[in-house]
Amino acid sequence: MIIQENLDLKRKLEILTDAAKYDVACTSSGVSRGGKRGYVGNTEAAGICHSFSADGRCISLLKILYTNQCIYDCKYCVNRVSNDVVRTAFTPEEVCTLTMEFYRRNYIEGLFLSSGILYSADHTMEQIYRAIRDLRTVHRFRGYIHVKAIPGTDPALIEKIGYLADRMSVNLELPTAESLKRLCPGKSREKILLPMRGIQCGIAANRNELAVYRNAPRFVPAGQSTQMIVGATPENDFQMIRTAEALYRNFDLKRVFYSAYIPTVPDKELPAPAGGPPLLREHRLYQADWLLRFYGFEADELLSAERPNFNVLLDPKCDWAVRHLERFPVEAMTAEYDTLLRVPGLGVRSARRIVAARRHGKLDFADLKRFGVVLKRAAYFLTCGGRTYFPFRFEENFITDCLIGDERRNAWEISHGTAFRQLSLFDDMKLEAEPDRTDAKKALFGEL
Amino acid sequence: MTVFLCENGFDGILSGVYDVYASRLGIDNCRLELADGYEPELFCDVREVPREREKAKKVAETVRRRMSEEACLRLYRASLHKSPARADAILRFIALGLGCGSRILRMLQEKAVYEIFRMDRAVANEAHSLVEFARFERLRSGLYYGMIGPENDVIELVAGHFADRFPDTDWLLCDEVRRKAALHSHGGALVIHAGIEKERIEALRAEKAGDPYTDLWKTFFRTIAIEERRNPKCQQNMLPLRYRKYITEFQ
Ligand code: SF4
Repeated sequence: MIIQENLDLKRKLEILTDAAKYDVACTSSGVSRGGKRGYVGNTEAAGICHSFSADGRCISLLKILYTNQCIYDCKYCVNRVSNDVVRTAFTPEEVCTLTMEFYRRNYIEGLFLSSGILYSADHTMEQIYRAIRDLRTVHRFRGYIHVKAIPGTDPALIEKIGYLADRMSVNLELPTAESLKRLCPGKSREKILLPMRGIQCGIAANRNELAVYRNAPRFVPAGQSTQMIVGATPENDFQMIRTAEALYRNFDLKRVFYSAYIPTVPDKELPAPAGGPPLLREHRLYQADWLLRFYGFEADELLSAERPNFNVLLDPKCDWAVRHLERFPVEAMTAEYDTLLRVPGLGVRSARRIVAARRHGKLDFADLKRFGVVLKRAAYFLTCGGRTYFPFRFEENFITDCLIGDERRNAWEISHGTAFRQLSLFDDMKLEAEPDRTDAKKALFGEL
Repeated sequence: MTVFLCENGFDGILSGVYDVYASRLGIDNCRLELADGYEPELFCDVREVPREREKAKKVAETVRRRMSEEACLRLYRASLHKSPARADAILRFIALGLGCGSRILRMLQEKAVYEIFRMDRAVANEAHSLVEFARFERLRSGLYYGMIGPENDVIELVAGHFADRFPDTDWLLCDEVRRKAALHSHGGALVIHAGIEKERIEALRAEKAGDPYTDLWKTFFRTIAIEERRNPKCQQNMLPLRYRKYITEFQ
């Protein structure tokens, strides 16, 4: 492995951005911190996107690797030791300078620093620690910092970093231990879950501390997240969302991200998908993830061992609703909030608006539409003042056909990469009430 | 019908509301319009209302007391909306709110409420978009300089965000359309200047070139995109073309 020390900053930035781009997380949400004299920066709880790259993904943070050198050989990774690419590394000063200068120009909300493994996990994390320590102390930076923790790092070092970072993440990479073993020699499920557990405990302990001492330093205040690769291994959707659900429940994760597998280095262990990355599948997983986190659904309600994959032609919420017609239609004027949330075409915000407004008088379908309800879908599951929006046959096949006609184009466009993906992701879900601005932003456009 | 013609801005509009009530003509017989751009109509009695701080303050306090702080804030943001009908919409909202109190914000099925809600949201969304998409460049003088061209008059909202974020920096944010600018000095003072001359704006623009970080940023921006996921349609929906004129990475 040849390490290029004397590259200029621009070339380094290019290499270390290129190597970091496959990580999906780029949100700056979860912590609200006002500005302060003598410091630079603040953060907003909902997060802020600053730009959108040519693939339509949000750019919120300066997402770079500290180094793309790595002693491991994970089969799907561009940085694997056996891959023949130019290797380089930043210095802590370079990371600080880029972050501060980009931040002052309002290009970014902060830094997302991840890394390949140089010599050892501890050595690498020590460099990362220095970079963000200087950012916080020398440069007085109060903006957002997300640090990826490398499994196998000394817990004491992770703890030090946790007091400087806003968010930390450990990537699960693959949903099952077997796949991990097959594709990532040198990693194991236990080794990955260990720091995840450590961070979780740190956050919990810090919460107690903060309850007693309001001014105690904060540990990973924006919580932790993780990422799974979709389509590099044979796991089905059911396994994926069961894993996600377990992570939310048992590790208190803020987010699980899904990343459609993109073949970068061919390997006999890996598929070479003919139709490009599995974008539609990734999209369905995000929709389902939303249903788990904000709509009160459980993985077992959405899929089962007999039906382990999402419907290509229907989003998971519609799919669930047509299979449970006995629960519909519900009446907009009287249904409980939780029941309204389960109606396709209704989101957190529109459901809240209905509940607030109906106390002060009758509503009609035109009102619902103005509140953000997508009647195209909701019409089949909702009555308002005892009447449906238009007359139709209340029967599974009929409704399914109507909904599919609408969704078919969406699905085709998503899988062919021509769709406004985020719109159709949130279009049905109406997520403006969702606290993550970087996601909610995407919901804005389909609105009203 | 009596038409009250008020001045621009929150104070101007609230002064108009005050006079409508003071006239005792009955709200249904009055309309509140902005003097700027008003086309004279037949059979209308027209009265001009000058802006008066005191009157505006009284109305704002009434809104706060009888409805809520939040209602007042929403009206303020609605007053920044580009719609020529904004003054009258504010009047109608207040008229309704005086009757029903703090629950007014939940009464979205009322047209008067919905109108304010709609304008407020458009203004808040645009302000937020500019918090995201405004860009600064460092001039040789050390001043950070940014230019925006918003549809609504949101510069105060946007500047407030940057004042909190960069408390010790000299920066200038300029609304090219309204020729207004927010000037922040490292001492912490934030001043809004109106009526800036075109030449002045041009001169600032000329001084801009030469910030080395614009090039590094463009490198990052280009490299972070994944070719296999290329999706210009999505990009355009998220980042509408009208903003791009001012965004470094699209220059
Ligand atoms: S440890 Fe990380 S950087 Fe190294 S090969 Fe594996 S995935 Fe890539």
